[in-house]
Amino acid sequence: MNKTRTGIIRDYDASRLSVKIALVIVYILCGLIVLVAMFPIYWVIMAGFMNLREFMSSTNIHPEAFELARYTQTWRQLGIMRNYLNSLYLILGSVFFALVSNGLLAYGLSILKPKGWGIIHKLVMVSLLIPTTLALVPLFMSLTRFGLVGFFTPLWMAAGANAFYVVVFRQFFLSLPSSLIDAGRIDGCTQMGIFMRIVMPLSKPICVVITIFTVNGAWSDFLLPFLVLRGTPWQTVMVRLFEFSTQQTINHDDLMRAVVFSMIPPIILFFFFQKKLTENIVSVGIKG
Amino acid sequence: MLPGIALFTFFLWVPLLQSVRMSFYRTVNIELVEFVGLQNYISIFGRQEFQQALRNTFVYTGWSLLIGFLVPIFLALVIGETLRGRGFFRTAAYLPNILPGLAAMILFSRFFSAEPTGVINIIMSWIDRGPFTFLTETNMVIPIIVLVSTWRGAGATALIYMAGLAGINPELYEAATIDGAGIFRRIRHITIPAIFNLGSTLLILQIIAVFQIMYEPMVLTAGGPDNASLSLMLYMWNLAFSGVMDMGRASAVAVITALILLCFTALYSFVNKRRTEWE
Repeated sequence: MNKTRTGIIRDYDASRLSVKIALVIVYILCGLIVLVAMFPIYWVIMAGFMNLREFMSSTNIHPEAFELARYTQTWRQLGIMRNYLNSLYLILGSVFFALVSNGLLAYGLSILKPKGWGIIHKLVMVSLLIPTTLALVPLFMSLTRFGLVGFFTPLWMAAGANAFYVVVFRQFFLSLPSSLIDAGRIDGCTQMGIFMRIVMPLSKPICVVITIFTVNGAWSDFLLPFLVLRGTPWQTVMVRLFEFSTQQTINHDDLMRAVVFSMIPPIILFFFFQKKLTENIVSVGIKG
Repeated sequence: MLPGIALFTFFLWVPLLQSVRMSFYRTVNIELVEFVGLQNYISIFGRQEFQQALRNTFVYTGWSLLIGFLVPIFLALVIGETLRGRGFFRTAAYLPNILPGLAAMILFSRFFSAEPTGVINIIMSWIDRGPFTFLTETNMVIPIIVLVSTWRGAGATALIYMAGLAGINPELYEAATIDGAGIFRRIRHITIPAIFNLGSTLLILQIIAVFQIMYEPMVLTAGGPDNASLSLMLYMWNLAFSGVMDMGRASAVAVITALILLCFTALYSFVNKRRTEWE
């Protein structure tokens, strides 16, 4: 392999002994980083193989036996399948709203620019700075007042009001060549037609990124979903997990298995889109 | 554009304004009962829990500056020096970030369990230490929570730093080497200045994020022991949603938090402006 060093240590340093030792230390540190990052995940999977007695008393990391039946039993007993499907509904609707609503708003703010767009843009930028958790209390109150509590609708719509996605979309739209949009206009496209036929197809890469973030966000979020969905048959995996963890209505070994169940989809998603995620986090600059 | 504006209005802007309005009202359940002026604020400031939460939130911020800010830079520097396996190291460091935060917190509540069966205590027993009572120790609980959220977030932040480091012009390093600069002097005079701006931006973003810390202590310790890990946002949640439904006072806490955050942001943009002028 013909790679060159891109770090602080350059190729011309690499022959010195002290530098070689430093590089060994670097690799040892990297090994430690991997260990620290992976070990908790490894442990919880192992803990899932323990039964209650073992989990409460064992001072070993590894279980006495690897019985997959323990996982399948918890899966059936708690009816996690239902929650998986609910999470899926939540995700599908959220992705739709996240793309269409934020996309259209960004389109308006970057290309259409109707009268007063500057004010809206400022407001969006300000909402980027103010944490959304602060809006939680009044939001819950108005949702209750409008009778929107109890189904996914408000959660789907909330995905359509993400200031961060708007900024990402807008930045991308601004980089599109305006000649293409002008061409569409000359050929008699309506504004909506330009958005659907020209802007969106060109924006596939950014749509993929937003989709991945939305999927992961919708899967992991539990505060607003808990307030909206508690006590209904529509509880998502995270809402269930949150109830388990706060109300202690579950055995500890089952809880660990539920944790594993909640981690599986994001990990699968991650391995499929690993490259996209790690590359785009840089250009997009956000963490989950 | 309209659906977007409508959703933003309903889900963000109106609630934020309402938050301010509600903080001046006495509420029963979800109804505003009467205008009470600053009464909510006065009663909040008088409560010991609030004072504790306010203090704790600053302690969280302090620890996260120490741990949460430096760890990603360290990760980026170390992983950036590797030649082989860099992709793997990057992926591994980033992996915790995609796990659901809630799941990670439940996991760590067992990890740091005070029993001899807690994972850290098992590891400690291999070298004949402990058992420690991590999360029930008043002055250890916040650093541990910060450590756990750093475990989750550091990989992602490190990726941003790595991109910054990769953007450094290699000729700078070469020139410095010719001038006789060793590795540490290169770090001091080239690497650190190069990521300084990036670092200060990420720093302010981090302060804003840490200030909202809520579900981490909620799941790990429920704010305990003795409110030692209670944060402002968690206090707000408790007021609003756990039993009493005191929406008015909860809003007052939210408004105070928002004001502090705005101060940080203003300070940041002021410092930023000063620096660019000065340069």
